[in-house]
Amino acid sequence: MIGLTADQIAAEIEAFSHRLKQGAQTLAEVGEIETGVSLREPIYQEDKLTLYRYQPRVENPHAIPLLIVYALVNRPYMMDLQEDRSMIRGLLDAGLDVYLVDWGYPDAGDRTLTLVDYVQRYIGHCVDVLRDRHGVDAINLLGVCQGGALSLCHTALYPAHIRNLITMVTPVDFHTPDNVLTHLIRHVDIDLLVDTLGNVPGQMLNFAFLSLSPFRLAGQKYVDLVDIFDDAQALKNFLRMEKWIFDSPDQAGEAFRQFAKDFFQQNKLVKGEVIIGDRRVDLREIAIPVLNVYATQDHLVPPAASKALAECCGSRDYSELSFRGGHIGIYVSSRAQREVPPAIAAWLLAR
Amino acid sequence: MTQQTPASHPGVFDVELVLRQARAYLAFGDQVRLFTNRLGEAAESETDWGQALQQHFTQLKTTIAQSAENPAVNPELARLWLLMADTWSETATTLGIATETIPDTLRQTEVWRAYQRTQGDYFNQLRDAAMKALDLMEQRLNELAAAGKTVSSLRELYNLWVDCNEETYGQMLRSAAYSELNGRLFNALLRCYSRPEAQS
Repeated sequence: MIGLTADQIAAEIEAFSHRLKQGAQTLAEVGEIETGVSLREPIYQEDKLTLYRYQPRVENPHAIPLLIVYALVNRPYMMDLQEDRSMIRGLLDAGLDVYLVDWGYPDAGDRTLTLVDYVQRYIGHCVDVLRDRHGVDAINLLGVCQGGALSLCHTALYPAHIRNLITMVTPVDFHTPDNVLTHLIRHVDIDLLVDTLGNVPGQMLNFAFLSLSPFRLAGQKYVDLVDIFDDAQALKNFLRMEKWIFDSPDQAGEAFRQFAKDFFQQNKLVKGEVIIGDRRVDLREIAIPVLNVYATQDHLVPPAASKALAECCGSRDYSELSFRGGHIGIYVSSRAQREVPPAIAAWLLAR
Repeated sequence: MTQQTPASHPGVFDVELVLRQARAYLAFGDQVRLFTNRLGEAAESETDWGQALQQHFTQLKTTIAQSAENPAVNPELARLWLLMADTWSETATTLGIATETIPDTLRQTEVWRAYQRTQGDYFNQLRDAAMKALDLMEQRLNELAAAGKTVSSLRELYNLWVDCNEETYGQMLRSAAYSELNGRLFNALLRCYSRPEAQS
């Protein structure tokens, strides 16, 4: 049962306490935590948004630019976290010309921003900037998580401007039985929330994410940290991830209202009932090639929520890429670096 | 001009996050050490060792459970259970409801009392899941014993405790009742915040 003696436990406690004391010193010596490693330059700015171009890593990058649209709820440097964990670097190495939308940090002045602003105005302007810059009619678009849902909406509304669409860990059907986020938000009065708070604090969203697995994410993780206190590199990696987890921008109130109600609570995207401005989003309008990338162990966006796209988009060139891992591992795990960017690049270069 | 992504500030990480959990872990270790001490004594004096084991494990469970019932009994041990309660309280604070700064005018309102009741229901659900986790842990230990395996380190025992809590918590989280309660909790808090008394 428990093959432990009191002396063994006392010794283990003492060793743990010793490492804990030393760890405080190590933490003080870690220095700056850098997030993002690839060289880039801003090429367009509008309100809080910045559009970046990453410096190509091949002499003649692919002629059609790839625009990455990340989620609103976390910061996009997860795509370029560190030297050996960078999806963006993998895409650059594969010969793509990569651009990224950084949404910035909405403040009180942004509370009235709606999905019209995000889907039509912001993404639309970024797409137009790249079409002009590269002299092409249509660009390649890669939407990540919530950014994938926004990208689907944009593509459905402006199909002529997008040549190929990649969705990555993107929810499409928000009412699959295993969707825990929908389960948590189902009975929250979203109107009361937004009317009361204006913008939705990032800390509140952190609570929702932590609450999915609190004993691991808020307890065990920090006990285990003591084991790597004497490994400066491992500690830096941990702190980099920790910074990303808690670097949660507030959400523009009106955009959150519509996303939470229409997508999470009423599942309108899959029903073809989302209205952006005065236009209905019909995913069947998406007839261009689509690559849908999902993670088999994703606890935030279950595979079934992503795979629903197969049934509701209009593309005859629809493919899926299944990654064996979770919602975070698909960006940062070693296997993801080997598998995902090359597969995306190969799919794009073949079209 | 090409530029590097800006570096973050080194002070972003809150070391207290580690220290709090480390102290809770050490308190857990202390309890287990006491348990094994008593078990060792029982092994020397009693003939029915299996019965002694069960009896002492029940005592261990009771001690740990007491910390959930009343955190004042052993605050560090209680922290093991109070992860979600603490996180919720911090969230409520960011929304403008810090319990210690609530004005009396708000405390006397029905919306505040309704929030307190709902928060009580929420904490009760968390505690129930935690109690079930202890039963599950006992069951898992018995299964290990039946299979001729033993837990050979404190960390292994702690990890088992975490696994059991995640399992019972996860079952609670996925229930329709929890979904309803979670919504009720947020809505009750927001109704407090939306009252003018909360701003004073």
